[in-house]
Amino acid sequence: MTAALVLPAVLDIQQAAPLRDDLLALRGQPVVIDGSAVERLGALCLQVLISAQQTWARDGLSLQIDQASEAFAAQWNAFGATDYALAQREPA
Amino acid sequence: MTDAADPFEAIKVTFFQECDELLGDLETGLLAIEAGSADDETINAVFRAVHSVKGGAGAFGLEDLVRFAHVFETLLDELRAGRKPCDPPTVKALLRASDVLADHVSAARGQAAPVDEARSAALVAELEALTHGGAAPAAIADVLALPEADEFGFRPVAFDFSTLAAPEPAAASGWRVTFRPHARMYAKANETALLLRELSRLGPVEVALDASALPDLAELVAEEAYLTWTLDLAAVVDEASVREAFDFVEADCDLTVEALSDAPAATDAPDSAPDLDIAALLARATAEAPVIESAPPVVEVAPVVPVAAPTAAATPAPAAQAAVTIRVDLDRVDRLINVVGELVIQQAMLAQRVIESGLARSSGISVGLEDLELLTREIQDSVMAIRAQPVKSVFQRMPRLVREVGEMTGKRVRLLTEGEATEVDKTVVERLAEPITHMIRNAIDHGLEMPEDRLAAGKSGEGTVRLAALHRSGRIVIEISDDGRGINRERVRGIAVSRGLIVEDAVLTDDEIDNLIFLPGFSTADAISDISGRGVGMDVVRKSIQALGGRISIASVPGKGSTFTLSLPLTLAVLDGMVVSAADQTLVAPLTAIVESLTPRPGDVHYVGGHDAVILFREQFTPLIDVGMVMGFRDAALTPSDGVAVIVETESGARAALLFDAIQGQRQVVIKSLETNYRQVEGVAAATILGDGRVALILDVDAIVANARRRSARPELKLAS
Repeated sequence: MTAALVLPAVLDIQQAAPLRDDLLALRGQPVVIDGSAVERLGALCLQVLISAQQTWARDGLSLQIDQASEAFAAQWNAFGATDYALAQREPA
Repeated sequence: MTDAADPFEAIKVTFFQECDELLGDLETGLLAIEAGSADDETINAVFRAVHSVKGGAGAFGLEDLVRFAHVFETLLDELRAGRKPCDPPTVKALLRASDVLADHVSAARGQAAPVDEARSAALVAELEALTHGGAAPAAIADVLALPEADEFGFRPVAFDFSTLAAPEPAAASGWRVTFRPHARMYAKANETALLLRELSRLGPVEVALDASALPDLAELVAEEAYLTWTLDLAAVVDEASVREAFDFVEADCDLTVEALSDAPAATDAPDSAPDLDIAALLARATAEAPVIESAPPVVEVAPVVPVAAPTAAATPAPAAQAAVTIRVDLDRVDRLINVVGELVIQQAMLAQRVIESGLARSSGISVGLEDLELLTREIQDSVMAIRAQPVKSVFQRMPRLVREVGEMTGKRVRLLTEGEATEVDKTVVERLAEPITHMIRNAIDHGLEMPEDRLAAGKSGEGTVRLAALHRSGRIVIEISDDGRGINRERVRGIAVSRGLIVEDAVLTDDEIDNLIFLPGFSTADAISDISGRGVGMDVVRKSIQALGGRISIASVPGKGSTFTLSLPLTLAVLDGMVVSAADQTLVAPLTAIVESLTPRPGDVHYVGGHDAVILFREQFTPLIDVGMVMGFRDAALTPSDGVAVIVETESGARAALLFDAIQGQRQVVIKSLETNYRQVEGVAAATILGDGRVALILDVDAIVANARRRSARPELKLAS
């Protein structure tokens, strides 16, 4: 069973702890994260997402960030996090 | 002054001086935007002003200031990029924000009470709402990743710069920045994304992320910082510019900056090189597809996408830079002025000696002396000009005052300023702020009517206060006028009578009634209002103007408004004085205090109580003070008809006649402080050195008159002037 998580529009310093908790609650199962609503990504949430990817990989499970909005992908790349998988939403 | 021995403090002092200028630029820019006379460069200049304040404040750990400036700057950046319209509500909010920013600066400087937190927080919320509200919420995304269209409408394409940098060694010079933020940095509301963007303003940046320190999600502390970035900047700039991008977080991160290539990095002209590069890069960009394949320098990370490509607008043009200036310690200037004062005296002495020795006729010497005199005059003028400053620094503070007083009183006010560039001695400029502030407050509070009253009187609902400065016959004249109701003479007269300042049946001209407001103890506010009634009456304003050797006058037309005119000397370093002698001593009386002089007729002098002399002058008995006696130069009084009486007016408006032996003439003298060189002497304001080398004391007219009064312990004469 694959769990799903929808990211909020703003992933700033305030969202880092809730995001970590939400993800931890889904541990032990494959997760698909919907990034289509994201408008702003801060470094602390970036940490959480990369750590989650590494953790899930160590668990032998998949964690996919899917449907990343254009802004989300652009900021993700601007952080230099390009070797961490991020599937972008198909342009409409 | 701050302890100059502490270099950090000295830098801080400089920072705050710069803040004053930056805040001035900020307000000027915002007002231009408000008036609709702004171009792109104005918005850029406004942004830079706030950004520079923030940068400096970060270096000194002034967190409140940094936080506020940051929010302010973010909104300005949106406007600058054209993502937000500069509509009137936004400009109004920006103006208020500039006021609060100024408050933050004053508070950080320790000059003012802490900032009104509620007001500051409300504005932060307002600015944030303006930044994030509206059509483009993904603000940061846009700026961070998508190149901005520049002023030519060109939108550069993102591509890999590392492949381009290699074949051209000249362009290869750049910087490697290793940046590891601490948790503290995030806690202070700084964001790596914005710093990366800041750096990318300098040129193309390759970003490599090192996430190896990241723990398992279960052990990850959300507020902790685990990531390290390696940023390769391909731009010919100096190291300071690179560090500048991080200058307000430097204390909260690990930062190393090292040169990338063997080629020495440019030490100046950071803006010149990228232009060429951009042209080359664009040419290649159109020729090649933007493929991203190169191997980036950091081991664990493979592909790299560059951050925003450069645009011509990415590096701020130095176009708006003001005239070239240097900062000089005021003490040095004063020392120079002092020495030049000596030079002027020496020159006068030399001239006198030449005359005395009868050499003047010898043409060669007299021509040389004249040239020398011209030169010394020119030097003196030039040196005085160093201290001269435009009144702009004072005028600039007034728009805010007008906004605030307007808001408090519910009146609509427009401030017109003229002659901001008029120059006057620095000391005078500094001491002008308070009286002008007070008079503008008065003009709005007492002078202007409420909007509905104005409309009823057939005027525009918006009142106008005009503040103007101009030079007139060697003095600076400041005019503060309003188009309000004018002075209510009935009421002024009534108050003066009720306060016992004039007798009820006194016959006064309109002018005399208007001038009653300058009397001590007069205040027209029935109830002490928040705005004008701060315990400072117009008498205090007049005193502070007179202390500067100035005069204040008023002209008022009922229903049309009032005009206050200040006339001040251009400098406090020289003084126009009347050179007089008393008991073989040479003295100087300030010309501003002198009303007229006369030779007393024996019949005009009367003695009250046998020894206190008064002189009948314009049908009034005026105390006659023998200066030689008062100063202790002689024991026996001078017969009045043998001397000259000089009628003087004190700062409080009281008149007295000073009796001297003779008047020698009128002269401009260089003021030398007596306190600094000797000690304070009652009745003496300062000293000067005359052409013959003798020291002459400059009289403190007020002190002499007050002193003479105390001695005779006579009740004050009733004055109505």
